[in-house]
Amino acid sequence: MLTYEPDDTFAHRLDPRTKLAVQIGFAATALAHPTPRALLVLSALTGVVMAGAGVSLRRTLAAYRFALLVLALAPVLSGATLGAPWFDRAAATASGLASYRVLLVLLVSAAYVRSTPVRDSRAAIQRTIPGKPGQLLGIGVALVFRFLPVLRGDLRTIREAMAARLGTERGAVDRVSTIGMLGLSRAFDRADRLSLALQARCFAWNPTLPPLAFSRADYPVLAVAVVLACSAFI
Amino acid sequence: MIEFRAVSHAFDDVPVLEDVSLSIDDGEFVLLAGANGSGKTTLLRHCNGLLTPDSGTVRVDGTPVEDDLIAARSSVGMVFQHPRDQFVSATVGADVAFGPENLGLKRAEIDRRVDAALAAVNMAGRGDDRIDALSGGEQSRVAIAGALAMEPTHLVLDEPFTGLDDPARRSVLERLASLAEDGTGVLLATHDLRDVCELADRVIAMRDGRVVVDGPPANALDDLDGLEVRVPSG
Amino acid sequence: MATNQNSVERVDDAVVRSFARAAVLAALMGAAAVVGSIPIPFSPVPVSLGVLVVYLMGLYLGPVWGPASVGLYLTAGAVGLPVFANGASGIGVLVGDSAGYLWAYPIAALVIGTLIHGRGKLENPAETSIPVLAVALLTALTIIYALGTVWLGYVLKVSMIEAVNLAVVPFIPGDLLKIVATIVIVKGGRIDPT
Repeated sequence: MLTYEPDDTFAHRLDPRTKLAVQIGFAATALAHPTPRALLVLSALTGVVMAGAGVSLRRTLAAYRFALLVLALAPVLSGATLGAPWFDRAAATASGLASYRVLLVLLVSAAYVRSTPVRDSRAAIQRTIPGKPGQLLGIGVALVFRFLPVLRGDLRTIREAMAARLGTERGAVDRVSTIGMLGLSRAFDRADRLSLALQARCFAWNPTLPPLAFSRADYPVLAVAVVLACSAFI
Repeated sequence: MIEFRAVSHAFDDVPVLEDVSLSIDDGEFVLLAGANGSGKTTLLRHCNGLLTPDSGTVRVDGTPVEDDLIAARSSVGMVFQHPRDQFVSATVGADVAFGPENLGLKRAEIDRRVDAALAAVNMAGRGDDRIDALSGGEQSRVAIAGALAMEPTHLVLDEPFTGLDDPARRSVLERLASLAEDGTGVLLATHDLRDVCELADRVIAMRDGRVVVDGPPANALDDLDGLEVRVPSG
Repeated sequence: MATNQNSVERVDDAVVRSFARAAVLAALMGAAAVVGSIPIPFSPVPVSLGVLVVYLMGLYLGPVWGPASVGLYLTAGAVGLPVFANGASGIGVLVGDSAGYLWAYPIAALVIGTLIHGRGKLENPAETSIPVLAVALLTALTIIYALGTVWLGYVLKVSMIEAVNLAVVPFIPGDLLKIVATIVIVKGGRIDPT
């Protein structure tokens, strides 16, 4: 699975806002230019980004394997025709290039995921999105991070408890609704306790924000991000 | 000082607190005993304005709680049952910093308070630990540190020993006793009085929403019969 | 200390309560996307419970906090928490082949929330009749399919029919099953969000 890994690569030292900008610029231009020449340049850039963040190609492809299946099927489906000539090469090529650009965008975002801890993302959100939405979104992401393993544990416990009493022999609707109902009611219990704790600790709209600062290395990378974003319009 | 004067509270017309008057001084260690459903939790939640009385007043350091909720909640730190659901962040230090951040303090002051709070619960230097990797006793102590970092004059705890084994329970108790010695008022709700009586200055016992016992532990223990409270044996 | 605290603006207790529920349900959706899949008969694709949580968000959090909860889920996935289908994450997923579905989720929660609760206070969805529930959920599913297919067709450059074959047909049995299960949950009435 693709997650943050502590390391000391170039990407790890960049400000999260810089890395977000690069991804957005990259995605914009990749979506705008599914041409062989543009994709060649973007492939090279993807290689640089992945190396800069210490991302392993093999592990990343494994993490995105379900998306890869669709990406691989699309050109085949697109090329196949019901009558002669049975396979439309032009359509398959167009779809293949389009699928390939999606793959590149996924690989570039893997570099962000590997090099950015959640607390940096939270700080970036709170400092970039103004006002109350930014505050809720930032703290909310921290809370999702905190509660993800807790709720995974809940769901696993519910499923094990059902299996232990042969719940696996019951109908699918029955199983899905039982898991959903128990999962939801536990989540609500936890949320209501969390809400008391947030209130007791003076949850505020304008807290002291986590520290975050651009360093010298950020500026050239930000410039690249701007160039990428602008190139989407040519 | 926390002061209740003739406080009553009802949920859906069912009275839960009836005419409760009491006070907790700074530096006092007070036990709040009583069976489940006796009104302990409702009483505690009046201390920092999570609930407001239907009649009567609650004052913290002389000010009615609802007049200044931020002051009340920073003066009265609160720790609930189920510490797992009270954490906001995935790591210890970031979680303890949440309260002081909400008070809008400077980053250096926040860092100082986090270090001091962790030291006070014997968790110094553990700021980067993942909360999910901690034992139950450690999680309870981090929850207490989260309240202490707001530098409250009082600490209110609702059954903080649920799910703890005896050694973990004892380690939490020791920390509470030393906090009270250093001048923090402690109000500890529990139905299990083993090991805690000798630490307390006073025992308050509740039944059916009323205070039925209020006095030093030596006198109070004899009056606890029939309250479904687990008392020290022998 | 007092001078510092004067500038602090407290979040209203009612907002904190709704926000905490939105955040925890966003985490539940992330957990369901990984832990929740159940094999069902006559379908090559196992049922993932993720969409079920989108329905529940609309039903139990309403037209404001339901979409907000989905928004938290999408943001958490974008910044790298493994909450998307099969534990994927990253901004790339939000523009990738399945991005249309993901962007349809907040709209689906909004539509369900509005149809069930209107604009007023949150009601207990158990009091809604089964036909209304079914219409709300099927509308939401239709929106999800529509956006999912259109985006897939655009981003992978395949025709609409091919996109439907690739991204809708295999999922229909599971998705209908989840709608029935959602109605069972709501009508069970075990959870009252008010």
